[in-house]
Amino acid sequence: MTKNVHSDDLAEHFFRNEYGKMVSVITRYLGTDNIESAEDIVQDTMLKASESWKHSGIPPNPQAWLYITAKNLTFNLLKRKKVKSKYKGQLIRDDTQFEQIDVNAFSTEKISDEQLKMMFVCCHPAIPENGQIALILKILCGFSITEIAQAFYTNNETISKRLVRGRKQLKELKINIDLADIDNSSFDIVLKTIFLLFNEGYCPNQQNQQIRYDLCLEAIRLAEILNKHHSIKFQSQSSSLLALMYLNASRFAARTNNDFSNSTLDKQDRSLWDQDLINTGIHYLNSASKETQISKYLILAAISANHCIAKNFDETNWVEINSLYNDLIQIENSPITRINRSVAISKTKGYQVAISELLLLSEEINVNDLEVFHATIGEFYRLSQNTPKAIEHLQRALVLCANPRNSKLLENKLKGLS
Amino acid sequence: MNEYMLFIRSEESPKSEFSAEQMQEHIAKVGAFIKRLTEEGRMKSAQPLEMEGRILSYQDGKVIDGPYNETKEIISGYYHLLAKDLDEAIAITKEDPRFEEGIWRIEIRPIKKVMGIND
Repeated sequence: MTKNVHSDDLAEHFFRNEYGKMVSVITRYLGTDNIESAEDIVQDTMLKASESWKHSGIPPNPQAWLYITAKNLTFNLLKRKKVKSKYKGQLIRDDTQFEQIDVNAFSTEKISDEQLKMMFVCCHPAIPENGQIALILKILCGFSITEIAQAFYTNNETISKRLVRGRKQLKELKINIDLADIDNSSFDIVLKTIFLLFNEGYCPNQQNQQIRYDLCLEAIRLAEILNKHHSIKFQSQSSSLLALMYLNASRFAARTNNDFSNSTLDKQDRSLWDQDLINTGIHYLNSASKETQISKYLILAAISANHCIAKNFDETNWVEINSLYNDLIQIENSPITRINRSVAISKTKGYQVAISELLLLSEEINVNDLEVFHATIGEFYRLSQNTPKAIEHLQRALVLCANPRNSKLLENKLKGLS
Repeated sequence: MNEYMLFIRSEESPKSEFSAEQMQEHIAKVGAFIKRLTEEGRMKSAQPLEMEGRILSYQDGKVIDGPYNETKEIISGYYHLLAKDLDEAIAITKEDPRFEEGIWRIEIRPIKKVMGIND
């Protein structure tokens, strides 16, 4: 009989979140060289859930339903493996492993430990950055290859290759993470990868708004796991990163106009900024600022906070932002940071000083192929009535621009000049 | 009202390529479809079937296992539906959101009316 008891809908992204938890816990029993088997088990578990739940409704405790099913499937696989190795006369690596899948296998504490370990596994320094992100999205966020490809604006084949290569490396490396032993440099890589994931979603230059916002949410979720874990000694950095991501995410909706063109900070409707996200961001910023350690993320978060609390664009505290950029350049003297600082310079010292700073930069480093360089200096020339120079740089930016939304913005500016 | 048996056929599992998010959407969509029909009193029963099972035949005076079909297609579930006529049963079936994703085939068969029993 069909039971007519459909309980409420599942929590948003329920499967996506549970996917990563289950793969991480099961990998503990199968080993990091068998992550793919763990993923197969989780996929099977979700198929079973799908068949059952769509017919008879969501069970009262869907999480427990999944964990029991996954545990049984894991148990069966290990039992088969054991029989097989006995038959071949081999000794299984650890004879007791599968008997240990006990009731506590999916306890909250174990889940958080194993998810954290999995983050460090996926971010192993031997794996290239784009491989790390693909592995994180596949293993910890339950994204399909197609979804990852959409998020990165590439094709399934490219993503498959990255995953195959990444998994092969994991197999060969036989990684064993001890949470008590995590050093600063592996922590840095994990933070950096999470931030890359966030930026991948945040950069507004591509279609598929929904999946890109999801990337931002996933990045925040992973950073929360990291930040909450008791074994992490570098809370100040993860709090800073969380502050930065929450503060930036608050502007997500306001950045896109109805016609899908981009809206720059000065033109955004500030009433669309998500006040809850801003408050959470400020909360993390405060807790990070208590520590003495200064990180790139802390400075970036402070800059973002200055934008978030300004009533309007003109009332932004540019002096403060300028000085924060000066601090940031001490840590990371990159062309992008210098270009971003030039905006603050233009507000505090005028366009001429900002133009000189950018010209100085172009003498130090080759920035001729950087769209953002030409767009920024072109805008400074435009605002200081130097039309020929403005046209020259805005046109160069337009040539370099790969993104239709920014192209539109540049074209409009050029139209206004001619 | 007439009764119909709907056999949901699929090759292996069309959902195995789904992402976690798609799986959740699939449950929500197909679940809502089944729930609505159940509440309207049109769906008498809807059940998934396990992928394993047995086929028994009578041969040479005894019951034996098999023979099994060579095809990969398998009946993965059934609906027991009430409809005015076959056309209405077809119209209802076409609304099944599972058709939006994956390769599914649904066979619609009227349940035979036997006079004096289920007539």
